[in-house]
Amino acid sequence: MAGLYNTNFTTLPLAMDVASLRNEVYAHNIANAETPGYKRREVSFEDSFKKALAGDELRLKTSRVRHIPNYPVSLDGVEPDLTRIKNTVITNDGNNVDIDKEMAALSANTLRYQTLTRLMDLNIVRYNIVLKGTR
Amino acid sequence: MLDVFRTLNISASGLTAQRARLDVIASNIANAETTRSDEGGPYRRKTVVFREVYESAIHDAGYRNVRAQTDAMRGVEIAAIEADKRPFRWIYDPSHPDANEEGYVQMPNVNVLREMVDLINAQRSYEANVTALNATKSFVNAALQIGKGG
Repeated sequence: MAGLYNTNFTTLPLAMDVASLRNEVYAHNIANAETPGYKRREVSFEDSFKKALAGDELRLKTSRVRHIPNYPVSLDGVEPDLTRIKNTVITNDGNNVDIDKEMAALSANTLRYQTLTRLMDLNIVRYNIVLKGTR
Repeated sequence: MLDVFRTLNISASGLTAQRARLDVIASNIANAETTRSDEGGPYRRKTVVFREVYESAIHDAGYRNVRAQTDAMRGVEIAAIEADKRPFRWIYDPSHPDANEEGYVQMPNVNVLREMVDLINAQRSYEANVTALNATKSFVNAALQIGKGG
């Protein structure tokens, strides 16, 4: 996003989106904690997000001053991924949901989301301060 | 926003399933000594079988698309209420109206102790789904605070 708005308006909603996606997956895992044969699902995102931000893989090398760099990196292609964890077993019926782990992850994810909304809120507040002059 | 309602529905499906399980456990405990049933013979222990609700059509339409895949997740449902095939218990009680010539009575294959353990499990799972439901609610509340400057 260019111009008036800073990059927080791109990164924070994306992170919030992923957090709510995760919340849904955790809810589904918890609902199926005792379903025979159910394999837990997991959202992976942070790695590809970090790579995009750091530009480890997506950034092109510029060896001359007049080379046009391809950063700030676009986050368009950075998408969360959903995987089924099939190679573990917790109970005899083939289910691999560890309810305690799932509950802990759920709470951590909730706190993360609340942190992100707070950051977004404060980001907007900063704009308000500028627009109003003083508060 | 629709995502949130979908998530609430997932947790609600878990609550419904666990409540149905509680009903079945209650029925098992209530009938732990019932010697006459509709099928003839003593009461047979019932168990619930859960099944994941996953809309494969939605998944296939949006393959490799995370949002389509999560959209396909709809929680859990009761696939069946199955009868426990294990044999009935025999107890010696010649005074019982249903006793045979030798004085033995066929009793339900319900183990009350085991039912109590199941009951605790069902209750815990129910609470886990409530926690997930509340987490989703707090998501909405947090999102509504954006821009308020709090």
